[in-house]
Amino acid sequence: MTDLCTPPDASTNTSVDAAAARLLAAHASGTPCAPVRDLIDDLDTAYAVQDRLTEHWLAQGRRLTGRKIGLTSPAVQRQLGVGTPDFGMLFADMAVPDGAEVPTGAVQQARAEAEVALVLEADLTHDRHTVADLLRATAFALPAIEVCGSRVRDWDIAITDTVADNASSGLYVLGTRPVPLRDLDLRLAGMVLERRGEQVSTGAGAACLGHPLTAALWLADTLVRVGRPLRAGDTVLTGALGPMVPVASGDVLEARIDGLGDVRVAFSPDDSDSDSHSHSVKEA
Amino acid sequence: MPGQHTTTPDAAAPEATALAAALDAAALAGRPTARLTDTTPLDVPTAYAVQRAGVDRRCARGESLIGVKMGFTSRAKMAQMGVDDVIWGLLTDAMLVEDGGVLDTGGLIHPRIEPEIAFLLGRPLSGRVTPAEAARAVAGVAVAYEVLDSRYDGFRFTLPDVIADNASAARFGVAAWHHPDRVDLRNLGLTVECDGRPVATGSSAAVLGHPLRSLTAAARLAAEADVVLEPGFVVLAGAATAAVPLPPDAYVRICAAGLGAVEVTTR
Repeated sequence: MTDLCTPPDASTNTSVDAAAARLLAAHASGTPCAPVRDLIDDLDTAYAVQDRLTEHWLAQGRRLTGRKIGLTSPAVQRQLGVGTPDFGMLFADMAVPDGAEVPTGAVQQARAEAEVALVLEADLTHDRHTVADLLRATAFALPAIEVCGSRVRDWDIAITDTVADNASSGLYVLGTRPVPLRDLDLRLAGMVLERRGEQVSTGAGAACLGHPLTAALWLADTLVRVGRPLRAGDTVLTGALGPMVPVASGDVLEARIDGLGDVRVAFSPDDSDSDSHSHSVKEA
Repeated sequence: MPGQHTTTPDAAAPEATALAAALDAAALAGRPTARLTDTTPLDVPTAYAVQRAGVDRRCARGESLIGVKMGFTSRAKMAQMGVDDVIWGLLTDAMLVEDGGVLDTGGLIHPRIEPEIAFLLGRPLSGRVTPAEAARAVAGVAVAYEVLDSRYDGFRFTLPDVIADNASAARFGVAAWHHPDRVDLRNLGLTVECDGRPVATGSSAAVLGHPLRSLTAAARLAAEADVVLEPGFVVLAGAATAAVPLPPDAYVRICAAGLGAVEVTTR
């Protein structure tokens, strides 16, 4: 439906268009759509859909600020029947300041998770990166809350659905005290996520592919392969440190990651209709 | 409520002794038994009397009491069991597996392992203590594991059942002790690795928000049971993750941030 990248062949192109159109319509209306897996057969095509959306949004002037890594826990991978993580795009308008209140409907079917964010100070453009490359390229780490969302009705997602849907991304909140990696044991950094003081998720760095840096390395190599490498200034959300939790209006979520500090986000209380479907933020 | 028990309800003693004998037999045989509450109405005080009678049987065989373990220390577990307080079980020296040692799962029914933070007491502790008093009683902290092995069919039980069954306590292991002032216990990452692969990951925050809260709860339960937690006792604060099955012929390592690791090999 929008401007195109180079199509592999006409029929794939048609289905990529159709899937992208369905997801864009869900974004625009704030009403979740049917899954798109009926239109796309494989992971490459799913990423082609995501890329179609990315091009659309970049053309609209949205600024790319980084990437998120998803499916970093063995449990979630098993659930979706995959053996690798996935990734999605982060745009500037998805970033929420620490402690801010966001409209509950800003993300469709919102769910939240606590993560380690890395902020880069160098490009990662090699075919293969070593952990040394990654450590040298990382300016600092921050605690983060990712507010995931799904444009697919009831989160009824297969791997192709979530990949096409920008890895079920929504908003992200970064903490404000940068910590250099040399001061951190990310593997055994404890994580606790609280909702209005009640513990709703706990975990540690090792829950993210064994180590958040392992996930980041996968991302760096993968992005070079697909031609949109990580650049200096990019933020990388490395993946959940514990189970994802649903979000309701009025919630205040605070994540604490040992060594990294804390980060917080609030969701506006709204009237009787607390269902997040009804007031989605429209794409510009 | 788990809190309202006493240890010596003489009237209940004969019944408690008989129920304890049934559970003890199941443990010794390594075969599961039916839930006590399937046939016997059991309240929490009586369940604790059964637990105590069971440990008395162990002590009569030459074992000695060396600590306690706390259970239902996570909100999720409390909600699942429909309770709003912690429970405890009693640990004897026969349950302790040396760090790096071998654990024979052959005698167990359906063992599960969970990562824990352990306290070593340097002073007696009992009663309604403040967090500061609890902290002062601690001589050491360590990463530890507990092996649970419910004596009930299918690991299924009601609250009085599990209390009577000594809170499923079976074995435990503790790493080297660290000075408590050197570690902030609030949010330490813990992992369980089985043959080198992570099988569970969690945070010490899962233990009542802070493991020290579990110690103050232990002191309260001790007072209600009219016992004193003695210097040298080990207090297992509670699980940092859900328990995972413990297979035979496995090398299992439990790590906690800043506390090193405790290892066990199963047969």
